[in-house]
Amino acid sequence: MTAPHVTLGDVLLPESGAKQTDKFRTENSSLWSQSVEEVLLCRVMASASIPAYNSSNNPLENSSSHNASRESLKMEPLADVTLLPGEERIIDKDIIYICPFSGALKGKVFITNYRLYFKSADADPAVTLDVPLGAIGRVEKMGGASSRGENSYGLDITCKDMRNLRFALKQEGHSRRDIFDILFRYAFPLSHGLLLFAYLSQEKFEENGWSIYKPVEEFRRQGLPNDKWRITFINANYELCDTYPTILVVPFKATEEDLRKVSTFRSRGRIPVLSWIHRENQAVICRCSQPLVGMSGKRNKDDERYLDLIREANGTAKLTIYDARPSVNAVANKATGGGYEGEDAYQNAELVFLDIHNIHVMRESLKKLKDIVYPNVEESHWLSSLESTHWLEHIKLVISGAIQVADKISGGNSVMVHCSDGWDRTAQLTSLAMLMLDSHYRTLRGFQVLLEKEWISFGHKFANRIGHGDKNHADQDRSPIFVQFIDCVWQMTKQFPTAFEFNERLLVTILDHLFSCRFGTFLYNCESARDTNELRSKTVSLWSLVNSDASSYQNPFYTPESNRVLYPVASMRHLELWVTYYIRWNPRIRQQQQSPVEQRYIELLALRDEYLKKLEELQLSDSSPNSSHLSNSSTPNAASPTQHITHLHTPF
Amino acid sequence: MLTGSKTTFKVRQMVPDMKERMLSHSGVNARGRDMFGLRCLPGECVLQRAVLVRKKLTAKEGGGWLSGTLFCTHFRVAFVPQDSPKADDNADPVLLGDHDVALASIEKVVAVGPSRTKLVTASSSLKFTPEELVLYCRDLRVLCFLFDRLTPDTQAVEITYTIAKTYQPLKPGAVLSFQNAALGSVEMKQFLSNRRRDAHMNWFDSLSDWEQELERTGACGWRVSSVNDRFEMSTSLPKFNVVPQKVLDTELKKTFAHFNEGRIPRWCWRHPRGSDLLRMASFQSNIYHEKDDIRNLELILFGGQSLCVVVELGEEMPSPTDIQLAHTRLRALCLGDISTSVSVPDDKWLSTLESTHWLDYTRCCLRKAVEVACLLRGGHLTVVLQEAEDRDMTCVVSSLVQVMCDPHCRTRTGFQGLVQKEWVMAGHRFLSRINYHRDSDKEEAPVFLLFLDCVWQLWVQYPSRFQLTGDFLLALQDSFHLPLFSSFLANCHRERCKRSQNLSQSYTPVNGWRDVPPRGSIPDPSDPPLPPVWDWALQYSSQRRERFTQPVPPPALPQPLLNGNLNTNPDAHRLSDSTPGSVFLLSRGSFSCSANLLPWRSGGGSGVYRKSHRRGGSSSENLPGLERLLKAWALTELPQGHTTTTAGLQGPLDPYEPLLPLLLGPCVGVWRDCYLRGALHAQAFSHPISSSTQHPVEQLAWEVQQIRDQIALASSPTNTAPAKRQEPRRTDSNLNQNTNNSTFLFPASRPPGPVVSRTTPPTSNLQPRVPPPSSAPLSRPGHRDSSKHTFLFGHPSSSEARPDQRYFPAPNNNAKLPKSNGSSLSS
Repeated sequence: MTAPHVTLGDVLLPESGAKQTDKFRTENSSLWSQSVEEVLLCRVMASASIPAYNSSNNPLENSSSHNASRESLKMEPLADVTLLPGEERIIDKDIIYICPFSGALKGKVFITNYRLYFKSADADPAVTLDVPLGAIGRVEKMGGASSRGENSYGLDITCKDMRNLRFALKQEGHSRRDIFDILFRYAFPLSHGLLLFAYLSQEKFEENGWSIYKPVEEFRRQGLPNDKWRITFINANYELCDTYPTILVVPFKATEEDLRKVSTFRSRGRIPVLSWIHRENQAVICRCSQPLVGMSGKRNKDDERYLDLIREANGTAKLTIYDARPSVNAVANKATGGGYEGEDAYQNAELVFLDIHNIHVMRESLKKLKDIVYPNVEESHWLSSLESTHWLEHIKLVISGAIQVADKISGGNSVMVHCSDGWDRTAQLTSLAMLMLDSHYRTLRGFQVLLEKEWISFGHKFANRIGHGDKNHADQDRSPIFVQFIDCVWQMTKQFPTAFEFNERLLVTILDHLFSCRFGTFLYNCESARDTNELRSKTVSLWSLVNSDASSYQNPFYTPESNRVLYPVASMRHLELWVTYYIRWNPRIRQQQQSPVEQRYIELLALRDEYLKKLEELQLSDSSPNSSHLSNSSTPNAASPTQHITHLHTPF
Repeated sequence: MLTGSKTTFKVRQMVPDMKERMLSHSGVNARGRDMFGLRCLPGECVLQRAVLVRKKLTAKEGGGWLSGTLFCTHFRVAFVPQDSPKADDNADPVLLGDHDVALASIEKVVAVGPSRTKLVTASSSLKFTPEELVLYCRDLRVLCFLFDRLTPDTQAVEITYTIAKTYQPLKPGAVLSFQNAALGSVEMKQFLSNRRRDAHMNWFDSLSDWEQELERTGACGWRVSSVNDRFEMSTSLPKFNVVPQKVLDTELKKTFAHFNEGRIPRWCWRHPRGSDLLRMASFQSNIYHEKDDIRNLELILFGGQSLCVVVELGEEMPSPTDIQLAHTRLRALCLGDISTSVSVPDDKWLSTLESTHWLDYTRCCLRKAVEVACLLRGGHLTVVLQEAEDRDMTCVVSSLVQVMCDPHCRTRTGFQGLVQKEWVMAGHRFLSRINYHRDSDKEEAPVFLLFLDCVWQLWVQYPSRFQLTGDFLLALQDSFHLPLFSSFLANCHRERCKRSQNLSQSYTPVNGWRDVPPRGSIPDPSDPPLPPVWDWALQYSSQRRERFTQPVPPPALPQPLLNGNLNTNPDAHRLSDSTPGSVFLLSRGSFSCSANLLPWRSGGGSGVYRKSHRRGGSSSENLPGLERLLKAWALTELPQGHTTTTAGLQGPLDPYEPLLPLLLGPCVGVWRDCYLRGALHAQAFSHPISSSTQHPVEQLAWEVQQIRDQIALASSPTNTAPAKRQEPRRTDSNLNQNTNNSTFLFPASRPPGPVVSRTTPPTSNLQPRVPPPSSAPLSRPGHRDSSKHTFLFGHPSSSEARPDQRYFPAPNNNAKLPKSNGSSLSS
């Protein structure tokens, strides 16, 4: 079943030759010949693709199209899809979509500078596809001039969002070449000297998402600076560390000179800086990269003293250093000049390895997961197949690492977290630990701040990990680290259904736009690159979209409770596969549905609005002749329902 | 006075004043009394107690630890939290408090010392003072008690010993002494015999009960026969059985011999589209088929329909042995057992879970039930479930089909009736399958638990289509392990009848009831009277019982059908080409019409009848029609999931659309709330909900109520004003009486509500979260108020005084939402 994306394309790697193509054909026929049953299945399925307000993600539509429908005013229609402001139509063509669930469907494909849109012609109701070009990871030609058999000549598209698409074309008249060239060009604009769509978008929103995160404000919320910790602007021009943000919090006693010296001993200059401080016990989470110990076991007095300053700040007896890597990997890193904090050098610290594997392992794991869920869910031995992907096991290790960090902090013990470079596993651990410790980050806006802070500003290499607009699909730097993190967050929301203000839809939307390139939020590797490319002035933030329509992303069961540390259970027994994300393209998987209670809640909300409006009307019309009846309440539109309640005397 | 228990108990130490207590035992009306703060059942004695004990709370209970006193009586291990309110002496006795566990539920007692853990049995001796006491229960709970440093060492040791010596691993005889300990006292007997049984459910033990069911389902052409009134025709069938009207009792009598154990084909249920579900045992071989018998046999099988499909449940379904093995493995896997320290490494959990095959079996049962449900939807046929004994898988499949297709069976009372009908009365051998007495090891198989698991899978996928909840299923699961209930303590109707006859005889003596047998004597086997499991008030407090049903209204139940009047089935014509009298066998997803399917149709001897059919066995042109029905499953799977979201906005969902579960690997999961609640590491769960806050839904409902009152207030003096002002008042009355006018309340295109409204719940946490539970305005007297409340909460009967009710979203609420108007149809 894994054939489609394993087979090498004849254009990208022409030397793979005819043998491959042949092999392809045979697999093709068995894989894509669909039973009548399934055809019907998918058609019926597609008929139901009208989004209700609760459908967070519809299998045949990318959620961005939902979003699009909401900003409908300035859009022009393309078939039945509305274009985003700034979106331009490039080409449209008759094509056959080989749907893995319903077989070959004739229809028309439209390609714009933002999306690939397909609508079937003869299927009733129509099957549609709406794929942002950013989600495309790889485009290949399948079949050659000699290909025989139905629909064996066409395009094979691998997406970053857990699906593959196949289109068949007529062999005559270069139709494939045209569409391939256009797709290749617009799906990978950076490889062709073009701009990412985020720079072309003309979207406008009520809210400006770029203002959601202001580092100084966020530190102030945490109670910083204080007498132990100060804010430094030493990196204002990215001179200390080009992958760090400009504003850093460091021990009060550490001088700028100290910081410079420490930066020489930390990989890529990513010195230990404060990420989060516990309000009561003043324990801190610091993050950094590995020390440059090397084979010779170098020491650096400044680094050792600096770590001691961190430890002293709240009187921690022993600073706990969490090295996210397996110890073997940490040792191996010595060969390339890295390493870990040795016992002798750092006597007031204890080092704990968290055994989380590197980006390559995660990439392969997700690839295996995709193999068992797309296009068809492995039927027999589902659980052992799932186990063999190790995806949940990696999730478990990340969560349990974060639990250890959170637990140490709750106990008043400062910790420092690093991996090799401190931008992948480190970001996962610190942000998850902060999510457990600080209820602010569990709100809709707080979560955005968390992502902006721990991931975006501290230089998780989004550009490399996702490969925005880049054609090099085999790039070894790509890895679903951020997807894995969002999965961990989802696991937490499952285990604590009332603790998070946001819902699953937010998480899916974030992942959709991680790839889509419609917003600037996840573009580039670090702040310095964003500054160079004037990201914030030229693109729109994802949070503009989200916060302009906050109610769609809110969890009705949210019960705010501050100062409660959430410890999820990091056991395979309690982790689940995120079916509604990873298997959402399968029409046989039901989408996330509301519980009756949730449904009731939403009905009640609607009812309340209805009544409030009515009450307002009533009171307005009443106000002239006999307003005395409402003597207790102030003007209805100013008063919240809560206030009404407190003053109310019942008429019965 | 310790009825019967003295013979089996070797109590090391009794609480000093037990004698005194036993002497002062005669007060008939004193139903319970306090013993050191523990409210005892009549006749219950405290054997040991330990103070300053802390109980570990599960996630559902809110996590953390609760301090209190631990008791061991000869019936239960009880835990009384430190400042629990004084119980009302006049209240009815509740067998088990929220923190208690019955001795018979305990499977293992483990003491944890400073440096070691030890499995404590009746004969073992402790060489250390336990710091922690862990009780592993049969129902997969694990109770963990922590002794304080201030708990006297002797108390910690003694209570451990006492529990270990009295908990009685199940063995013949132990069950009886346990029952006596719980229910054997004079007062308890009297109390139980005065108990009214739930009149809201159908018990299926009288002729009229069955007639009521025929009427409810709109079945015509069937009648209730009492030919088995004295169990002479079949010992394992109930007294009353439903058969076609055309077959007279005298004719019927002759058919019993043709079936294993005399379990003839009987009617179970009629699908709203007019097809009937039947069940029967295998055919008796080597019997001569009289011509008249054959006519009657066929009449019964066809029940007035033209087509009959026999669904053989033997080969594809798991055998009881398979189920037992799978369940044993699942238990071992789920119950992290610190005493054996053999546990499956976490990274092998998934594959080990798979290798138990438990989930395969649930999937298998569900799949079979789906097939049957799809066939029934075709209308105009009978589907006959056949199993060699007709006492295991037929129970599972027939009841699953009804849960899927009949909304009534998804209410609490409807479900209880279903279990009565298809399990208790139909003669599922509960006693042997549960093996309470440990005398039927070879028979042991938790078939019923497999069924509950299947229902749970359905519930998880369609929570909004059920009125009952996971809590209810869990309570039933737990009760199954408690050998106290008549429902589970017999193998068939006849055994229950015999028992109650004996019992009524033993109740005849002059003084009204018998004296408790003298110490040491062998108790009468029919003693004491056992309550049915459905008497939930015996086991659960009212708060916990409230969680057995959804806090939102159930989808409206359709009116009873007359004559299957939903017969507007578009598929019906597909089967119209079938030859009347055709019989098909459904096996492994395909149909066949083999000649020897019905023994009397095969061979020459019975050829007489065969001739009367034009093309006896060769009517294979019907097959495509039937196969289409099955295929319909794959198709309906999706409209179910999707059209409903849109349909819900336009009109109500067809309540008879069966709930067809998704059976793909990721869609069938382990019942964590049940199987994993005992695993100690799982208790790290802490739910960020404290019991003092209201559920957001109740909170919001309360707010809406307030605004409504305000509207009423604002509009009342302005009667003379034109339309606009009158409208709200009309609304008001509408809401109470005619709440299904939901288009008025929820315009079809309504989005989830503007931002303004949504920001309120999170921010209004100060005032609104405190509103007095059923607070001032709601506590107004008068039914008008309660009916309004009913509208908001959708609880027809118990709308008031539900302050403590909490409802957490189901952990796996990935099931579908039929955004139906049903929720507001509850009136």
